[in-house]
Amino acid sequence: MNGSFLGIDLGSSYTKFIVIDEGAIIVDAEVIPTLSRRREVLDKAMSGILSRFNIQCICATGYGRRNVQADLHKTELICAAAGVSVTHKMHKSILDIGGEDIKIIESDANGSVVDFYMNNKCSAGTGTFITEIADRAELDIAEMSTLASKSKSDRTINSFCTVFAKSEILGWKFGGVPIEDIARGIYLAVVDRVHKLPLKKGMPLFLCGGVIAHHPFLAGLLAERLQADIRVVEQPQYAVALGAARLAQEEMMSAKPVRESPWITRKLSKT
Amino acid sequence: MSRLRSQDKLKSILKDYFVCLSSPLAWCTSVGPAEILRALGFNVYFPENHGALLGASRTAGKYIPRAHQAGYDDEICSYLTADIGAYLMGETPLSQAYGLPSIPRPDLIVFNTNQCREVAEWFGFFGREFGCPVVGIMPPRHITEVSQADIDNVVGQFEKAIKIGGEIMGRPLDYGRLKETVALSKQGAVLWREVLETARKAPSPLTFWDGTILMAPIVMLRGTQVCVDFYQEMLDELRQLMNAKQAAVPDEQVRLFWEGMPIWGRLRALSDLFAENHAAVVASTYCNSWVFDCFNPEDPLRSMAEAYTRVFINRSEDAKLGILRELLDNYHIDGIVFHDSKTCFNNTNSRFNLPGRLQKATGVPSLTIDGDLNDLRFFSEGQVRTKIETFVELLKTLKQ
Repeated sequence: MNGSFLGIDLGSSYTKFIVIDEGAIIVDAEVIPTLSRRREVLDKAMSGILSRFNIQCICATGYGRRNVQADLHKTELICAAAGVSVTHKMHKSILDIGGEDIKIIESDANGSVVDFYMNNKCSAGTGTFITEIADRAELDIAEMSTLASKSKSDRTINSFCTVFAKSEILGWKFGGVPIEDIARGIYLAVVDRVHKLPLKKGMPLFLCGGVIAHHPFLAGLLAERLQADIRVVEQPQYAVALGAARLAQEEMMSAKPVRESPWITRKLSKT
Repeated sequence: MSRLRSQDKLKSILKDYFVCLSSPLAWCTSVGPAEILRALGFNVYFPENHGALLGASRTAGKYIPRAHQAGYDDEICSYLTADIGAYLMGETPLSQAYGLPSIPRPDLIVFNTNQCREVAEWFGFFGREFGCPVVGIMPPRHITEVSQADIDNVVGQFEKAIKIGGEIMGRPLDYGRLKETVALSKQGAVLWREVLETARKAPSPLTFWDGTILMAPIVMLRGTQVCVDFYQEMLDELRQLMNAKQAAVPDEQVRLFWEGMPIWGRLRALSDLFAENHAAVVASTYCNSWVFDCFNPEDPLRSMAEAYTRVFINRSEDAKLGILRELLDNYHIDGIVFHDSKTCFNNTNSRFNLPGRLQKATGVPSLTIDGDLNDLRFFSEGQVRTKIETFVELLKTLKQ
């Protein structure tokens, strides 16, 4: 069996796995909730991958990266740059809207981070923000994009604080604001947040992360409001895990000795 | 045993210092006119050191809510809130460390707002509690250069403190003794600068993390022979390490500058994080704030006024830019980390785009991390780790 490389992205909401072969082609992609009460869900996913592929090297990334044994631990910003650069070999910006943060990464054509920005300690405009507000508005996440696309409203949420934004939404509901306008208003709040970030001009902006994957309407709204060359990467939720897999492959190619015992025998550390 | 012999020596010096804190005793801000108080015959206690101790011992989180209950907001100086909270709860880490029953009772309180106005409120609280005189030195703030008029202004305020201090002691200031004290402060400050400058050499024998602890004598024992002797020994030790090519961070690959307050409750964790990534934090504005080149024993009051008014924290953004440029150059810095300290507006220098202007002027990349000097509720371990690891990797890529 030829060698494969595993990237694991332990995000705040979901854990994503990507396996690539020696030609850097994706041969497996899986996603499970990070905060599953049952640790065995993670163990089972790992065991399954390790039994099906001849994994030569593992790179873990995401906030939970230190909670799995791996050959490499890289930040999600480094992996996002590497992941998007697998297919987009150009100088670019990357906007990664995750569960609890927003990141802007400037990457060179080879996937090295040249500059970056992360939001401060606040979840406004992130996946958690959308989930919390949608929950208060009794909106189904899966229908939000479709609903928002039916609205032309410019009504947006003023509060930066997720908790206060929930109170604001309550006022909208009592005021009889149509559900389509509420959906669009939540997205406008996210766009407002992104608009304040230091985005560089003159290069394409690639979107990745779970929020873009689940809220396709947001990409169009961002393009309209930011007046930027915005492109959504293929399988946006997996871009960071793909970068991790790619870095695992590069690690093996950097003339290090091949592991003697296969990863299948390795026990995962307990969180 | 500690990595540096000086760390062990420091423990015994601090013990001797704290057990001798008896009346007549004055409280003083860390960049206040301690020389005047010593020359008048006071023992001198520094509440900011106590604040840092509450942070470093990770007890601040227990005391800060008590200050909030007493009406002190959760976004004001967390030295203040931790210190007042601990006092209201009748506790101090000095009890366990040095056997003191409580913080020492002042006969006089002197503060200097060259750092911030919060010290006036903080020290004012204790003035009311202890019923002792409180003297405030309030120099011109946020200045680009220190003028003769500024010095005249501050000297006038020193003279007021001297008068009140003299009345409490029942004798006037002995100016000969003041000259001797300023001479010792100068010797100590010069040695402290030489200690810090050992980190100019790569690999550095010293880090910012070492400095935050080993700076205690230049803050608390400035103007004493103990301070001079300590830094002379420390300098000798560091020179030996340099000759032996013993680096503080094994395999030093990038050199960083720390701007802003330390995060006292996470010193070890941050030190380990940078070291894991082969990044040596070799210089800081914080440690350099106790380098006073202006002290002149022949003109003690005017030179003190100049030294304490020209401190980094009291300068304009333009002046800060110039000081940082020089430090980045002197210490061969690859990247600068700005600490945006939630409760320390005055010593947070990232909020008016100084990082952007500095990068434009020097080409040195910067990173801003959110945190706080004492209140760890404003610090996110995961986020800071991600930012620092990415930044260090970016710097390594740029160096290739």
